[in-house]
Amino acid sequence: MSGIVRYEGAPFVARFGWYAGELMEKFVKSLAEKKLLATRCPKCGYTIVPPRIRCVKCYTKLGEENLVELSGKGKLLSYTVVHTIPDGKGGFTDLDKPVLLGAIKLDEADSTIFAVLGEVEPEKLVEGLEVQVVWREETKGELADIAYFKPVG
Amino acid sequence: MGLRVAIVGYGQTRFEWDAEKTREEMVFEAARKALEDAGIDREDVCTVISASTDFLDGRTISNCMLIGATGAYLKDESKAEEDGMLAALYALERLLSGTHEIALVTAHTVSWTFNPHQVSVYMLDPLFDRQNRYLYDISIAAIQAKLYMNRYDVSEEQIGMVSVKNFRNAAMNPFAYMKLPDITLDEILNSKVYAEPIRELTMAPVCDGACSVVLATEEKVREITDNPVWIEGVGNCADVYIRDRDLSRLNSLQVAARKAYKMAGVTDPYREIDVVELTERFAHQELMAYEALGLCREGKAKNLIEAGLTEIYGDIPVNPSGGAMAGDAICATGLLRLIEAAKQIRGEAGRYQIDGAEKAVAHAQWGLAAQKNVVFVLGGEV
Repeated sequence: MSGIVRYEGAPFVARFGWYAGELMEKFVKSLAEKKLLATRCPKCGYTIVPPRIRCVKCYTKLGEENLVELSGKGKLLSYTVVHTIPDGKGGFTDLDKPVLLGAIKLDEADSTIFAVLGEVEPEKLVEGLEVQVVWREETKGELADIAYFKPVG
Repeated sequence: MGLRVAIVGYGQTRFEWDAEKTREEMVFEAARKALEDAGIDREDVCTVISASTDFLDGRTISNCMLIGATGAYLKDESKAEEDGMLAALYALERLLSGTHEIALVTAHTVSWTFNPHQVSVYMLDPLFDRQNRYLYDISIAAIQAKLYMNRYDVSEEQIGMVSVKNFRNAAMNPFAYMKLPDITLDEILNSKVYAEPIRELTMAPVCDGACSVVLATEEKVREITDNPVWIEGVGNCADVYIRDRDLSRLNSLQVAARKAYKMAGVTDPYREIDVVELTERFAHQELMAYEALGLCREGKAKNLIEAGLTEIYGDIPVNPSGGAMAGDAICATGLLRLIEAAKQIRGEAGRYQIDGAEKAVAHAQWGLAAQKNVVFVLGGEV
């Protein structure tokens, strides 16, 4: 490194907090009961997961009455095998074991969600594969309740 | 456009890694070169627009300290977040409003300040996607690449050919950071995997750099230069967040291109455009862009690259400068495409000059899996 001294960070850690919004809060809390919620637009039918208060396609206002429960099953649209991720400090870290990351279209929904795939070898992955959610042992109403997705059956 | 606007000057720093310059020195160098190239003084500039991203600068309101570097002191000044081509669009709109006659546009990024790929995590929805530690720009681009490859039966080799072409082109570019004149497809396909199929050599190498352009309205253009590069068309379009987008297509680029072509009166881009400079943050995105830009039909981009039609000697050269693969100084990368396109029209591209280039397209992207796209159509004096 040259004569430039790297600045080692601000004297605070930015632990951002956000207001999740009523529907998102419901989504997260319902995970405790192993439920996946989405909002279905009454006007165009587009179904958004995680739920939002405006339809992303036609801007219709959505509320609690538009919440629908999903089956937790879906189809694999695409996937990647992740070998390397950012290390949080400005570098990269190589994973000991590559992780399968899927783009999943949940049945009854239109959004794509991105989730880790488990109980499957990369060679078995193919677009269109039917997958289902696997919950962690004890669900607490946190996003981490969704452990991963695995092939159906 | 009733009022016409042209590019009358440009400048850039050499793109490099661990640049031993302050951000301000870098921006000053690019801005000064652009003014010198235009043959004007800073007093002649009416409005200054810079482009940078606070997260990448590691400071908020990151344009504040650039006022000196860009000569914007006590002038009309503003900042565009994201790519410099959006700053150029902003400047163009100010000139077209009739309130200003000459605009200076600058963009910069110092990538070693903090890893831009880490920063990409902050583009994710914090409440859901950011909880997934494997999701970041590269893994999302990998999912996009797979979707595209699957839809049109595109191979990793065909994607690798984009890297080979651009790295070799970059070797002729004196300002490029990544010059690999002897790179082979084998080396590309054996480079380190980040997220399959994205490898070290199928993504644009992040680096440090700044660039700058001077825009002027027609009356001023006549006073400044005999060799203006006219902005004939422009289009800008943003798609939705990754969860609700068809990642296998660059729909927003297609919309932006159509708008720009319509304004410029381009009906058959393959025949009418002489050279394209586009932002391929990942190699597969160059192929996707061929289709969205209307250079070929959907799914046929692989044929263009295989047949060498987008090589410097091809029918429709794409990224003769090396594109983003030559060095990705994030916010400066798209604005640099505008400069490279202008260079071609002015006949100043040196070893990668396309003979007789009269009409050029420049493209910039921003966001995860190219959520936002901007297209400029440029033309020479007729």
